[in-house]
Amino acid sequence: MAEAIAADNITKTFPNVTANDCVTVSVEEGTIRAVVGENGAGKTTLMKILYGLYQPDSGTIRIKGEEIKLSNPRDAISRGIGMVHQHFMLVPSFTLAQNIVLGVEPKKRIFIDENQLNESVQQISEKYGFDIDTQKLAVDASVGEQQRAEILKALYRGADILILDEPTAVLTDMETKELFVMLRNLMKSGITILFISHKLREVLEISDETTVMRNGKVVGTVKTSETDSHKLAEMMVGRDTIGGRIRTSCDVKDAVLTIENLSVLDSRDLQAVKNVSLKLCKGEILGVAGVDGNGQEEFVEAIMGLRPKIKGKITIDGKEIQDLSTRGIRESGVAFIPSDRYRSGIAMDALIWENIIAGDYYSEPFSNGLSLVMKEVLDTSEKLVKKFQVSTPGLKVKTGNLSGGNIQRVIAGRELGLKEAKVVIASQPTRGIDIAGTEAIRQMLLEYANRGAGVLILSADLDEVLALSDRIVVFYEGEISDAGYWDEDIRSRVGQLMTGGEGENNAK
Amino acid sequence: MGNLDFGSIFTLTLFAATFRMATPILFATMGGIFSSQSGIFNVGLESLLIIGAFFAVVGSVKTGDPMGGLLFAVVACLIATLIFALLHLELKANAIIVGLAMNIFAAGMTNYLLVEMLDATGVYQSDLIIGFKEVQIPFIKDIPFLGDLVSGHFPLVYVAFLSVWAVYLILYKTPFGFHLRAVGEKPQAAESIGINPKKMKYFGLLVSGLMSAFGGTFLSLSYLNLFAEGMTAGRGWLALAAINFGGSKPVRSLIACLIFGFADALAVRLQQFGLPSQIVLMLPYVSTLIVLLFSAMSDERKKKMAASKHKRLNTAKA
Amino acid sequence: MLNKSQKPTEIPIYKKIIVGAGTQIANYIIILFISISIGALVIFLSGMDPLTAYLALIKGAFGNWIKTADTLDRSTVMILAGIAGTLAFRTNVINLGLEGQLYIGAFAAALVGFSVTGLSKAVHIPLCLLAGMLGGAMWTLPVIYMKLRWNITELVTTLMMNYIAIRFTEYLIAFPFKDPTARLAGSPVLEASARLPKLIQGSTLNIGFIIAIATAIFSFWFLFKSKTGYEMRMVGLNKDFAAASGIPVNRSYTLAMMMSGAIVGLGGAIMITGFFGRFLGSFSSGYGWDGMMIALLAQNHPLGVIPASLFYGALANGALAMQSATGVPQTVVVMVKGTVMFFVTVMVFVRFIRRRLTKWVT
Repeated sequence: MAEAIAADNITKTFPNVTANDCVTVSVEEGTIRAVVGENGAGKTTLMKILYGLYQPDSGTIRIKGEEIKLSNPRDAISRGIGMVHQHFMLVPSFTLAQNIVLGVEPKKRIFIDENQLNESVQQISEKYGFDIDTQKLAVDASVGEQQRAEILKALYRGADILILDEPTAVLTDMETKELFVMLRNLMKSGITILFISHKLREVLEISDETTVMRNGKVVGTVKTSETDSHKLAEMMVGRDTIGGRIRTSCDVKDAVLTIENLSVLDSRDLQAVKNVSLKLCKGEILGVAGVDGNGQEEFVEAIMGLRPKIKGKITIDGKEIQDLSTRGIRESGVAFIPSDRYRSGIAMDALIWENIIAGDYYSEPFSNGLSLVMKEVLDTSEKLVKKFQVSTPGLKVKTGNLSGGNIQRVIAGRELGLKEAKVVIASQPTRGIDIAGTEAIRQMLLEYANRGAGVLILSADLDEVLALSDRIVVFYEGEISDAGYWDEDIRSRVGQLMTGGEGENNAK
Repeated sequence: MGNLDFGSIFTLTLFAATFRMATPILFATMGGIFSSQSGIFNVGLESLLIIGAFFAVVGSVKTGDPMGGLLFAVVACLIATLIFALLHLELKANAIIVGLAMNIFAAGMTNYLLVEMLDATGVYQSDLIIGFKEVQIPFIKDIPFLGDLVSGHFPLVYVAFLSVWAVYLILYKTPFGFHLRAVGEKPQAAESIGINPKKMKYFGLLVSGLMSAFGGTFLSLSYLNLFAEGMTAGRGWLALAAINFGGSKPVRSLIACLIFGFADALAVRLQQFGLPSQIVLMLPYVSTLIVLLFSAMSDERKKKMAASKHKRLNTAKA
Repeated sequence: MLNKSQKPTEIPIYKKIIVGAGTQIANYIIILFISISIGALVIFLSGMDPLTAYLALIKGAFGNWIKTADTLDRSTVMILAGIAGTLAFRTNVINLGLEGQLYIGAFAAALVGFSVTGLSKAVHIPLCLLAGMLGGAMWTLPVIYMKLRWNITELVTTLMMNYIAIRFTEYLIAFPFKDPTARLAGSPVLEASARLPKLIQGSTLNIGFIIAIATAIFSFWFLFKSKTGYEMRMVGLNKDFAAASGIPVNRSYTLAMMMSGAIVGLGGAIMITGFFGRFLGSFSSGYGWDGMMIALLAQNHPLGVIPASLFYGALANGALAMQSATGVPQTVVVMVKGTVMFFVTVMVFVRFIRRRLTKWVT
């Protein structure tokens, strides 16, 4: 079959990093090619080069056999390449239809032809069999609908090569199945699909061939039917990933954190958390699974006092904390690693010591009356930096200059380093962190649980939740269901619950 | 001191004056909406108004025609906006700080040029300044009440109110407007389609300069044919408040401008009744605060009602 | 992104300091040079000699001890306004209302100054200055309320409060507190016991200058060495992170606003009790706005505010002399200030200079 798109010896460097190192890939028309690799392997950079968002330092791109230079996305679009980004690029106040035609709006003299706009979008969505309400505002659409709009955006412009960046990252298992059905249909219509993923099971399910990248280089391309997740993982990482831990069961009397009937509104004043109850035991790791956007963020923010609640009682070791300030809650023994590291985790322009001491600066020995005792502050910061292995040239460096993994270590140092927390709430703790950093953070959380703290891990990464938790609950549309203790069937139970299947409501 | 009764304060002329006093603010607001929708809150509107007002007078004197004044004002404002754009978009300076610097610079520059070019200090008034004349609209001018209200304004007043409709059309019914709003709301979305955010922001800023030129021209070449130091009296800031209140939407912001215009007109009227001018002149600024407060209160009330409705629907399902 | 390269070879600390300080100094010198040149161009174009004009300006500001003292006096209110701006900006509070808070503080001090009699200097002066601080701080309360309760941006509300303050004080001296004997609209004259003692015979320099310097030093300690200052800085750098770490965000916001108002109010109080002796209608030629620009010039560092204010004070004092000696209007100075501002907003040269200096040093 003919070649649809190819990269030939593409090299791209950024300051300090070689993102793509002599990358050569060739994709056949009408096939689905998966590109897998760890964070930082260079997959997204390669895709962005193929879409014209970046220009390679050297090497060429071939489209349908012809060598083409892509200076910007417009060039790529004109050649039939469409890209669906991991973070959707939809304008919230526009309708899905308006988003789809943005940039190529049908015109009537100088105005937009609204009728033609809606009709043409309707036509194309029917042609490819997409189930989508194009008149919905983007802000009101579900994640699945938004993604369909993004794909239609590319198809509307006549794309026959689709690049999808982590398309299933924010989808439930059910929505992923629907997506794959759509992709197979598109493939039958002759569309070539490249997609980036780190979810090996899905890659194995849908792709014809898989290209593995590591450290900017292509490790190899294999026929998906001739490989398995083990082999792929080895190619991706080069060594074994960490195994599970010894599961313990929990004595209900030992609850260190109890949440009763918690209800929280989101920023649009809709109920994000609906009457949730939960118990966390000492020494237990409770995994909270669930795709982003089912209320986990609001749940965690409400516990930490960062978001108002409609109602709910929360106790730590018997002491009620739901009406306390964030500081009061922290003083009651709660450590918090937020999911949005750059927004709530650190101040990018603050120095390392300023970030690492932010939880404890106001108490002795760091404060004496009105002033800070700088000697103590700097000494302790130094100790924490060493203990949590933060790789930094010094304490008085701007925290934003560190790598993502090191920033997470700074946060861990602040939260876990000084006080013996009774409850650790870790939200998406290893998202976007490289292998070494991920291992280190997981190790820290395990140690904390072993020392008797209750650890709540919220993660959209099912594998992470399964690897660490003693017990798993699932967040789905604001409600929580118990998947029970870890055993061989836990994965399917959790998968069911994540898509709204039956289960016991409220985890005891 | 005249009778302080309702009837003599709230006359038709008061409401007609509202349209007149709202006009400069309205121009600045509509222009500011363009740049706001593209993602830049143009804090320099005040400086653009004063630059427009000054160069409108200069132009009128040099060409003997108010349209010449308008032309001079437009050119001057566009140059000033271009400087703002270069500093903010090319050299990455903070927009608020550049806006503030522009305000200070423009105040100083116009005062200096007042001396240099027009040989006056503080105020320049002369028969050489040819301003616009009021126009009457045929038919409408003979309708009782409506005629006095709508007809007989300066031409720029009509332009200002028409511009609201124009801004609405451009922003919401043309591709250009779509692209502009996309850039302001989600620049990555626009970029991934191949729209150049920087180009759109330039446009947004330049339009705000253009329209502020109209606003400044109106100040110095219509009701009053003069230029005085500080004659903008914070109208550029009121425009920002209007944009803020209106969520950068043309019709909502128009409402705020009308309220400010009314407060301005009322202030002048109350002065004629002998109320201390200082208190009365506080009116526009106090009204801004009240408008912002009420707007926030009603927004919250609306949200609460929507949430409780949703709660009722939710519990109904269960 | 996996970082392939090694850690860059360590540059010794003292060399880093040289590069850092050198960059700042060189940057300001270049900016100053360009701005002065532009000013010279403007002067030249209006038919006068830039050199004599600038010489007159420098003589006017620093010509002899008395004039230098007067320049220092001029910079007093600038220092306080600059500190006020610094504290606000460091907490990411957009306080554009310094001018209005200045007026209220000034009037409050004047009120206590002329309406209370029979006190000694040691009591009356602190009372007046305190009144000024209270007045400035109180004037920020509506803004704080509207922001914290209703999330209304302080950018607009502080601006409105400016105009309200100016009109309100205008009203006060036009009616209830009118002084019929005054030539210009003003309040009654302050009691002698409310006047700040002078420092140098023949100059207007008074202890207000000392107070201003002390405030600057205090603010430096406060921002960088105190617990509350740390809180305010963290809130300014990232409000969400501060909240998640337990730092009281609303309290820091409130403190920053009120301290800002209080300090510029103090500036107003010193102007009235030190220089004017009564509250005058338009006593401020935009000192509040100057304060914001000075904070910016000083990159929001309290100690940097002092040289920046002296620069402004020298311009203000010298401009007057320049105008009377050479006829070059004071507005030229305003434009030089504005040009400096434009360049400072951009800090264009910093990267360029830093690279050159680093190369030279290693």
